[in-house]
Amino acid sequence: MRALDARRNEVPAASVSQEEGVATAPRFRIFILDAGWNSVAHKVLVENFALIRGLQKDDPIYVLSREQSIEFQRRHGTRIGRDPIIAVHDLAAMDKSGTTDFHGFRLSLGLLRTPQQALQGLQAFARFLVTHRRSTDLEAEIRADLRREGLAGAIEIILHHEAREMGE
Amino acid sequence: MPERIGDILTLLMGALAVGYVVYEIERRRRKLHDIWDVLDEEDALLTAELEEMVERGELQPFAGTALA
Repeated sequence: MRALDARRNEVPAASVSQEEGVATAPRFRIFILDAGWNSVAHKVLVENFALIRGLQKDDPIYVLSREQSIEFQRRHGTRIGRDPIIAVHDLAAMDKSGTTDFHGFRLSLGLLRTPQQALQGLQAFARFLVTHRRSTDLEAEIRADLRREGLAGAIEIILHHEAREMGE
Repeated sequence: MPERIGDILTLLMGALAVGYVVYEIERRRRKLHDIWDVLDEEDALLTAELEEMVERGELQPFAGTALA
């Protein structure tokens, strides 16, 4: 997965700047659900969590226990097999319109099957959070990035097709 | 006649190639949305549940550095 890298619609830093070493007000609440499947994504998350924690110092991370994650998935069966899931609640959006409209995003890391894919997914996630903390229209930026990724995928497919044609 | 058959075959192969590209793009788009997606009204229940767990004190901000 390539970088999700839009840098638009930024608002001024909250309270005190990060350069001064003082924590800023949380923008997100990050939840990690992981029932603990013996999967590549689980291993990648465990191995890289300290780094994620370090990069996301300004936003609280809530890690559901294995029991809590299993119980949660018993109630929401469609999530089974997609975990580890990282759900990010956008506090700014929730203050504005609650949960009836856009209010965050999620990464279903468990759907990524290779260590490289899972690591890239996690890195893209961390990059996205850090670079979009001050966004005033996070939804638009996420959707634009998803469209861009889709378009990049389309170009990749066409290029592969052309390369194959040329190779024959 | 053979030329005509050749044209038809070329057209058919072209249509198949375009169809494959469209199918593959759609498949990748869906996969991408499965992996990354926004939370909206469909997720309201799940979001509320997690937020309630925080409010009830069942979930605390993670203070350690490593996951078990």
